[in-house]
Amino acid sequence: MLKYVLKRIGYMLVTLFIIATVTFFLMHSIPGDPLGAMANKLPEQAKANYYAKYGLDKPLTEQYGIFMKNLVTKGDLGESLKYPGKSITETLITNSKVSGVNGAFALLFGVSIGIVLGIVAALNKNKWPDYLVMFVAMMGITIPVFVLAAMLQYLFTVKWQLLPTSGWGKPKHMILPIIAMCFGSIATYARYLKANMLDVLGQDYILTAEAKGVSRFNVIKDHVMKNAFLPCITILGGQISGIFTGSFVIEKMFGIPGLGFYYVSSINDRDYTMIIGTTIFAAALFVLAQLLIDIAYTIFDPRIRIK
Amino acid sequence: MAMKKILAALLAGAMVLSMAACGDDKDNTVGSSTENATAKTIDGNVLDEEQYFNGYLGGDPTTLDGVIGNDSIGGSVLNNTMEPLTRLAEKDGQNIREGAGAESWESNEDGTVWTFHLRDNTWSDGQPVTAEHYAYAVIRTLTPETGSPNSYLLTCIKNANAVLAGEKAPSELGVKVVDDKTIEFTLEQPTPYFLSLTDGRVMQPQRQDIVEQYGESYGAEATNMVYCGPFKVESWTHNSEMVLVKNDSYWDKDSVNLTTINYKIMNDENTIFNSFTNGSIDSCGCGTPEWMDKFGSMEEVQYIHNVSPSVRFHFFNTKDKLFSNKNIRKAFTLAIDREDVSKSIYFNTMEPAYSWVPDGVSSGELGIYRQQVSAPLKAIAEKEDAKALLLKGMEELGLGSDPSTLNITFTMGDTTQWIKNYGEYYQQKFKEVLGVNITLDFNEWGTFQSKVNAGEYQMGYMVWGIDYNDPYAMLSLMRSDSTAIPTFWANEEYDKLMDAAAVEMDEAKRVELYEQAEAILMEEAPLCPVVNEASNTYRYKYVKNSNTMSFTSTGLKYAYTSGRPD
Repeated sequence: MLKYVLKRIGYMLVTLFIIATVTFFLMHSIPGDPLGAMANKLPEQAKANYYAKYGLDKPLTEQYGIFMKNLVTKGDLGESLKYPGKSITETLITNSKVSGVNGAFALLFGVSIGIVLGIVAALNKNKWPDYLVMFVAMMGITIPVFVLAAMLQYLFTVKWQLLPTSGWGKPKHMILPIIAMCFGSIATYARYLKANMLDVLGQDYILTAEAKGVSRFNVIKDHVMKNAFLPCITILGGQISGIFTGSFVIEKMFGIPGLGFYYVSSINDRDYTMIIGTTIFAAALFVLAQLLIDIAYTIFDPRIRIK
Repeated sequence: MAMKKILAALLAGAMVLSMAACGDDKDNTVGSSTENATAKTIDGNVLDEEQYFNGYLGGDPTTLDGVIGNDSIGGSVLNNTMEPLTRLAEKDGQNIREGAGAESWESNEDGTVWTFHLRDNTWSDGQPVTAEHYAYAVIRTLTPETGSPNSYLLTCIKNANAVLAGEKAPSELGVKVVDDKTIEFTLEQPTPYFLSLTDGRVMQPQRQDIVEQYGESYGAEATNMVYCGPFKVESWTHNSEMVLVKNDSYWDKDSVNLTTINYKIMNDENTIFNSFTNGSIDSCGCGTPEWMDKFGSMEEVQYIHNVSPSVRFHFFNTKDKLFSNKNIRKAFTLAIDREDVSKSIYFNTMEPAYSWVPDGVSSGELGIYRQQVSAPLKAIAEKEDAKALLLKGMEELGLGSDPSTLNITFTMGDTTQWIKNYGEYYQQKFKEVLGVNITLDFNEWGTFQSKVNAGEYQMGYMVWGIDYNDPYAMLSLMRSDSTAIPTFWANEEYDKLMDAAAVEMDEAKRVELYEQAEAILMEEAPLCPVVNEASNTYRYKYVKNSNTMSFTSTGLKYAYTSGRPD
C-alpha cells in the first residue's frame, strides 16, 4: 500500500511539472502582456523600465529557469504582476480557505440533501415524490447558478431585506451563496443515487436477500445503500478539489474574497505569476483528490485491491 | 453579457410584479429635530449624529502604493487618504484649485521653476510631513528601477527623461528640498499644465522609511502604510471590503465630517444595483436603462449626469492602402450619426462627440476649453458629404466607383455581447450610408493591442480617458512621436503647433494653438471621436457636499449626511 501511494505521489509530481511547464509557455504565447492589459499609453522608456523590474525583458527560457528554480527550491510562486506586493503563495492559502469554507458547506448540504432526495425518489419510483424530486433535480441542473443567485439576491436582500447583499465575515453572509452553490450538487446526487439504487434493486442478490426473508428495511440498509453509494465517491472526488478553487460567479456576486476571482481575472490581466499559481494549485488539488478516491475505493469496495 | 441581459429582463419583470404588489412604503421626508442644539449645521442642513458613507469600489485596488499603481480605483482611495500638493475643489459649478499639502505656491516668470510652501501636516503615525516626503515620491517615480507606470506624467521635470533612461543619476532631477517646508521643481521647459499635475497621485508624499521597511509589500495591505490625508485605511479585506476612518492627525480635520467610509468591493452590476436599492450603499453609477428608470423614479435619489473627460473613438491605420487616403478617413468619420449612436447604443447615457478634446477639460485659468472653442467636426459635417468623400477618395486611389467592392475590417478589443451589437450597428450603418462591406473582428484586449500596435488592422475602436486637466493631454497623443494611438499618422504642422503650445505660458495664445491643431486633426481625420463618456450617478439625497464634477479631487473630504433614515 505504502509503495503504491509513494509511486502515485511520484507520478503526481511529474504531472504537475508538465502542467507547470506547458502553462508557462502557453500563457506567454497569448498575445499581450501584463502592462498592455493595464495601459496602452506608456512611452517606450517607461515600458522598458517596467519590464526590466519584473524580469519580463529576459528571454523566455531564462524566465522559465528562474521560475522553476524558485518553485522547486523555495516553493515560491512569486509575486502578482497586477497586484504589486501580493505574494501568490499567500493569496492561494488565504483565499482558498475562504472558498473552502463556503464550498465545504455547500457540498455538505448538497450531498446530504441530494442523497436523501435520491433515496426517496428511488423508493417511490413513478409516484409523486419521485416526480417531485426529479423536477427539482432537473431545475437544479438546468438553471444556471448565476440566475439562481440573482433571484435569491433579489428576493432576500431587496424585496424582503432579510440578508446582506454582499460581504464576508459573518455567518449571515454565507447563507445565500451556499444555497446557490449547493443546488447543483443536490440535483446531481439525487439523480445519481436514484439511478444507482434502481440499478442495484434490480440485481439478483436483492431478490435472493428478499427470498431469504430479510426485511425490506434491512435489504435497503445492508445491500442496496452500500452498493449504490460506491459510484458517488467518484464524483465526490472532483467536487472536493473544486471547493477550494471557488466559484467565480458566486464570489463575484456576493463579494466573497475567495480564489475564484483570480482564476478568471488573472488570464485577462495577463498576470503571469497568478495564472501559473492558480493553475498549479488547481492541478495539485485535483490529482491529490484522485489519489484519495482511489485509496477510498480500496476501503469501501473489497473487490478492488491494490497490487 | 447576453446572460446579463436575460437576467436583467427577468429581474425587471419580477420587479414590476413585486412593485405592483407592495407599493412604495418608504417615506423619507426628513424629520430633522432641532432639539439637539449642539448639532452641526452646514448650508442650513443639520448633520446626522452618525456621520458615515457607504460606497463601493468597482474592484480591488491593485495596490495603495501611489508610485507603483496606476488604477483609478486605488487612485480614488489614495485621494481620500493622502495629501497631494493641491486639490481641485468644487465651487459654484467651477473647479477651483485650493492648497492642500501646499499652503501657497509660485513660479518664476517663464514657468520653469515652481516653488511650493508646505503647511504643517502630520502623518497618521505622528511624524510631521516634510518637503523631503514629497520629493522622495517624485524621485522614486522617476527612478528607472522602480518601473513606475506613472513616470511619463513627470517627464516635464528637468532631466527626467535622462534619469529614466539610466543616463543620469536621480540626484540630478530638477527636484529640490529647500527646507522642511519648501520644495522646488525645475522643469525642462515652460510647462503650462504643470499645476494640473499637482493634485494627482504623482504629487502625493511617501515616507522613505516606511516604503523601505515594507519593501515590495508597501501598499499591498492597509497596515503596510502611513497616511496623511483626510482619512486613513482602517481595514482592507481584499476583494470584499475596505474601511476608511477619519484621520485625526490631518491638518484640516475640522473640515472633515465623515467619521467612517465603508467601501464594499463589488464588480457585479446586479449586486451593485440591488445594494443601492436596499440602501446598503449610498451612491452608485449606472448606465443600464432598466435600472436607470427605476432609480430615476425613486424620490429620495438624486441623479447626477456629467460628461467625463474620456472619448470613445474609431481610429484608422494610415499605413493601410485605403485609409492612407484622407478623404476616405473623413468619409468614415462623417458617415456616423452621433446623435443616433448616443441614442440607439448608449440610451442617452453618453454624449455625442464632435471634437477630440472632451467637454469639461480646462485650459488653465480661462476655464472650460470647449466653451471657448467650438467643436470642429460639426462644421465639417455641415459642408461635406460622406459618400461624396468616399467616391473621391476611391478615385484618387484608382479603386473605381463602386463602394460595394470595398471590404473593410473593423477591429475591436473586446468579445462581449455588447461590443458585438456595437460592431453590427456600424456594419449596417456603413453599408447604408457608404455602401461598403464591413467585416467585424473581435479580439481579447491583449490580442487587440498586439494587432493594432503592429499595424495589422484597418479601423479600430478604443476608449481614451484623459490623464490631466489640460487639452494638451489629449492633443499630444497625436504627435508623430507618440505611440499611444497607433494610427501612424504624422503631420509636421501639427507637431509644430504642439511644440509651440507646450511652452506657451500665455493662456489665450495657447488656446489658439490648440484650436489650430485640433482643426488639422479633425480635417486629416486619423481618428474619429464618436461619443464622450458620461458618468451617471445616482445618490441618496441625504448625502451632501460630495462631488459632482469630473476633475474634482477633494474626494469625500467635505462630504456629510443630513437626514439619513434610521
